[in-house]
Parts: sequence; structure tokens; C-alpha cells
Amino acid sequence: MTLEIKNIKKSFGSKEVLRGLSFSAEGGKAFGLLGRNGAGKTTSIRILMDVFPPDEGEVLFDGRPIDYDKLRIGYLPEERGLYPKRIISEQLTYFAALKGMSKRDAAISVDKWLDRLGVAEYKSKKLETLSKGNQQKIQLITALAHDPHIIVLDEPFSGLDPVNAMLLKDVIKEEIAKGKIVLFSSHQMNYIEEFCDGIAILNEGLAAISGRIDDIKKSRPRDKLVVSSRENARIKSEIRGCTDAEKGEIIIKLDSENDKMSMMNRLTAGYDVDEIRVYEPSLNDIFIEYAGSSPSLSEDKNPKEAEK
Amino acid sequence: MKRFRTIFNFELSNYFKSKSFTVVTLLLVLLIGGVMFFPRISEAMRSGDSSGADERPVMLISVSALNVSDDADLSDTIEPDVIGAMFSAAFPENETKITDANEEKIKESVLSGKVECAFILNAMDSYTYYVNNLSIYDSNTAVADELLRDICRLNGMAEAGVDPAEAADIMSTQIKGETVSLGKDQAQNYFYTYIMIFALYMVILLYGQMVSMSVATEKSSRAMELLITSAKPVSMMFGKVIAACLAGLVQLLAAFGSALLFYNINESYWSDNPIVSSIFNIPSELLGYMLLFFILGFFIYAFMYGAIGSTVSKLEDINTAVMPLTFIFIAAFMIVMFSMGSGSVDTLLMKICSYIPLTSPMAMFTRIAMSSLPWYEIAASTGILVVSVFGVGIVSAKIYRVGVLLYGTSPKPGAILKAIRKA
Repeated sequence: MTLEIKNIKKSFGSKEVLRGLSFSAEGGKAFGLLGRNGAGKTTSIRILMDVFPPDEGEVLFDGRPIDYDKLRIGYLPEERGLYPKRIISEQLTYFAALKGMSKRDAAISVDKWLDRLGVAEYKSKKLETLSKGNQQKIQLITALAHDPHIIVLDEPFSGLDPVNAMLLKDVIKEEIAKGKIVLFSSHQMNYIEEFCDGIAILNEGLAAISGRIDDIKKSRPRDKLVVSSRENARIKSEIRGCTDAEKGEIIIKLDSENDKMSMMNRLTAGYDVDEIRVYEPSLNDIFIEYAGSSPSLSEDKNPKEAEK
Repeated sequence: MKRFRTIFNFELSNYFKSKSFTVVTLLLVLLIGGVMFFPRISEAMRSGDSSGADERPVMLISVSALNVSDDADLSDTIEPDVIGAMFSAAFPENETKITDANEEKIKESVLSGKVECAFILNAMDSYTYYVNNLSIYDSNTAVADELLRDICRLNGMAEAGVDPAEAADIMSTQIKGETVSLGKDQAQNYFYTYIMIFALYMVILLYGQMVSMSVATEKSSRAMELLITSAKPVSMMFGKVIAACLAGLVQLLAAFGSALLFYNINESYWSDNPIVSSIFNIPSELLGYMLLFFILGFFIYAFMYGAIGSTVSKLEDINTAVMPLTFIFIAAFMIVMFSMGSGSVDTLLMKICSYIPLTSPMAMFTRIAMSSLPWYEIAASTGILVVSVFGVGIVSAKIYRVGVLLYGTSPKPGAILKAIRKA
């Protein structure tokens, strides 16, 4: 199973939201859709779910345009909300039936999921009587009950306590193991790093970068050194491009990757150094580098353009 | 189609499972039952306390002015006792008493409430009527006028030498007339048309606003995020509107059905009330038209109410947003009501209104009920309405699709139109 988004463009009025977005995700793997607020994530999800068609470009499943009568998509929207005043099993069955299940299958599946998420006791209660965490779990069932091929989860962990977050992690891992395509949208990078194989970072309606996280990380220039030393002050005053990092370490930005060895030699020769290692960029760094377009980050734009 | 059925069932259960729907329907049936059983109950109560039934309000009649008058002719022919007997026959609701008290005394007893009213006859053709509070339904003077006029005429004839028995015969000549209306009898069908128009008005207004409320609630609770990705807006819109229509129809049927049932149980008690019996003489053909115009009128308004509901982000904005549409509907209702009241339902205004989709459900129905129309006028109006219902339905679904995704301030109509053209 492969999901391909190809060169999608979409504008609302004079506002161009997507300007040729492309990425592809595979079954049995989770794919992270990242981007700052307003980068076009929700619009691309809606196009994927056929809420409205793209102005240009196509959405392909296994190389063919999606047949929405056959392909099932589960969606956990970022803006949560169901019918507060309706019985839980009733509305869950309704949503599963809307996604094409028969009423009987829907009821069976809903029961199974209520059980799996430990909320079976609330089956015949009204939604509004539940705690926020339990409402989240009910909402999650609407995304999973109809056994979808593609699962779209928008900020799935927000509002969950650690125990429930763990439960959700297990559930997501099970779904991935079943070979489904899981599209993940979140600002919590630790979850993305934990689950996702590939990512796309959206910026102003384009995928600023997309691919496997490992590849992206490896492709980053190895032009930063992390130094742990007792002579921080002296290093900072004598060497160009130093910034403070966590745990009292210093990061030295080099002019080029090739200067790595000479800088290491200079440091070991001239200072009392405990440890030197090449800086491995976190997903957070990559996100800030590619997703940021606010004025304070504008100087980062040039290396990005060069990268392409 | 399957999705539409799922949505329809879900929405319908929303109405039938809600307590307020059940309570309102039951109250409606109870109220109608109360009205229809009223004559039976009140009669039972009247016969229950018949022992005290002699407590009729007192009416005083003073003829002392007649006796002292110089009009010897009259007092010769009419004795005060005879006048008293005639008054007592003319006012069966009152206990009539001939009194000798003077005017001041009579006024006092009227004011104190001991007696209900008093006639002081100054002459056979002139009197003063005293009553404490004059009710707008007080017809005593009209009855007295008639009575005295008869007495004067009889006297006049007696004076002219006509035998009193013969004179009485002449006076009581009855005219037998029969009116045959070849078209519609407006006096007959006014009341049921009025009730049907009113029912149409209430149900469309109530359920139309419920549709817009339901859409706006889904949007503000963000259940919409899920719905819009699960079903097509057209299915959503039609499912919602048809479910609301059916719920409204059920309530209408409950009201009309229970009224008919209770009327049949109590028919004998209503037989002397021409208005009520005319209401239950609705031709079945007209009921068919009512159903037709109810459904079409309901659809066209409910679609628009639904579309408006989708453009609102906050529930509290909904009343302001639907107001223009509600005003149009109220205006249509007013036009129809006024032309019904004026008795001419075929005015130019009504003719125009019966072809405009937003006014035709009520206007055309009224004209069918109260006037005679050629079939092609009815067909043309219905045709325009049916086409408009589908048109409005599709446009509403488009507005809905655009509207439900717009949060923040309500969009201007122009912006919506632009978005629809794109969608």
C-alpha cells in the first residue's frame, strides 16, 4: 500500500494554501506530516479525505486515483468533538456506518474498541458525562472502528495522561503492524521520532523537505561540534561560532564540514576538553530549520534554498 | 444512498428519542383533547349543580314612567304585566322583575351588583339601559329594540283595526332562503384554511429553525470535522431536512388526528357550532394539497435554514443569521392572512405570491382552498416550487460544504457565493 500526494495545489480565494505539495507514505509505516500552524496540513488532509478536490495535482493510492467508496480512511481531527448529548455506542455506530460499515458490523467493532480502550462501561452513557481523557478515547474509536486502510491522526496525544498516552502508543503500533498507513500530524517531535519512519515538513504550502527521518538526519551537514569542557569561557572568547547548549556544553558551528578535524585538534591541543563529538541534529532542529519562516529565522532560509 | 439512510435514521432518532418532542406532542394532544371535550365537560358540570340553577342574574324593568304618561292609548292596550312577560320571554338568561323603584334606586342596585342590568322605559319607543360594566358582547339593547319595535308595530296594527291574532301572524312571517355556492363557500372554508395555514406556518418555522440549530450545533461542537469527511454534504443536508420534515409531519398528524378523533367522540356536543363542524368538514382533496404544500414548503425553507446554520460559528449568532429568512416567511404569512381576512384571495398580490417559491406554499394553498382555480395554475405553481426545491437543495448543500469549514466571523454573502462557484 502506497499513498502518493502529487504536486497538489489549492487556493481559497486569493490565498494560496498549497502550492504544489508532494509526498508519499507506505503501508506498515507511520508518516509524519509536520509544519507550523497554517502551513497547509489540515487542507492537505481534507483533500486526501475528499472534502474538496485539489485545484491541481492528484492523490494516488497504489498508483491509481483513490476510489473513495472502497478505500476507508480513519480520521482523528485536531479539533475534537462529537455529539455531547447522544449515547456513546449510538454515535460511534453511526460514524462507523457512515464510513460504510453495516449496522451489525459497526456495533460489533465499536464494542471491541470500547473494550480495547477500557471505556466499555460508558457504552450507554452520554458523551458529555465523560472525563476529557475518556472523551478523547471515544473520539479515537471513530477513527479506528471501521478498520480503515489509512489512519490520519492529528495531534493524537494532546490531552492524554501518560497512562492513556501509553495505551494509545500501543494501539497505534498495533495498527502499523497490521500494515496500515498511519499519517501522523503533531507538534510533539518526540512522538514523531518514536513512531514515524518518514516525514514531510510543510512550509507555505510546499514540502520543504520530505523523506525518511534517518536519511534527512544523515544528509544534514556535519558541521557542528559539541564540546564538553571546564574552560567554556575561554573557548567561547577565543573561538568563533560558539553557542551554549544543554548540560553546560558548547556547540561550535564550523564554516564547513571539512574544518572538523582541524577544529578538534585545536581544541584538544589548546584546552582542557572532556569530550568532543559531532552534533547530531534533532528533529526539532530540522523542524525549526525547515518549517520556520518568521523574520527572526529568515537567515536560515538561505542554506535551505541551497539544500534544494 | 446508504449514507443518506444512515444519516436520516440517526437524525430521526434524534427527534423521536428527545424528551421535549414527546412532551410537546403529548401536550398538544392533551390541549386539543381539552378543547374538544370542553362542551361535554361543561354540560356535565351544569347538570351537576342544576339545584342552584335558579340563580339567574336579575334584570329590572321599570314601567312606572309609562303609567304616569299621558299616552293613554298605549297603557290601555299593554299592561305592565304583559311587558314583563314579554321581556322575560325575550331574555331567558335573566330573571326579569318589574320594579316601582325610582331611577336613583335602580342605579344603586345596578352599581352594587345586586342586579345585572335595568331597563327604564320612558315610553314604548324610548328607554334607558343601565348596566355596570358594558361588555362588548352585550346584545341586550338590540334584543330590547327588536322587542319594543314589535310591540309598537302590533299596537299600530291593532289601532288600524287589524285583529291582534292576525297582526301577530303577519309579524311572524318567516323567509325561507337557500344559498348555493357553485365555487367555494368562504364562510365554510375560512376556518379550516386558517387553521391549516397556521399549522403550516408553525411547523415550518419551528422545524426550519431546528434544522439550522442542528447544523450549527454540529459545527460548533466540531462533530462536523468528522461528518464532513464521512459523508457528502448533499446526503447530510437531505438526510437532516427529510428527517425534520417527517418529525414535523408526525406532530401535525398527531394534532390533526387527535382533533378528528376527539371531535368524532364529541360530535353531538358540537353540532350546534357551525364553525367547529365546518373545520371538520375539510375535503380530503384539500388535505392532499396541504400535505403537498407542507412538504414542498418545508423543504425549501429547511434547506435555507440549514445552509444559514452552516455559516454560523457560534450558536448564539444563529438567531441573527436566520432573521432575514424568518422575516420573509412571516411576511408571506401576513400577506396570506390579510387577504384571507379581506375575503379576496385572488388579488394581484396573492396571484404573484402564489408563483414565488418562498411564498407560494401558503399563498397557493390558500387560493386553492378559498377560490376556484383552473388546474394549470395549480400545476404551474407546484412545478415552479418543485424545481426550486431541488435547486435550493443543491445550492444549500454547496453553501453547507463551504460554510461548515469556515470558522471565525460569519462570512459575507458575497464571499459565500464566490466560494460556491469555486466548489
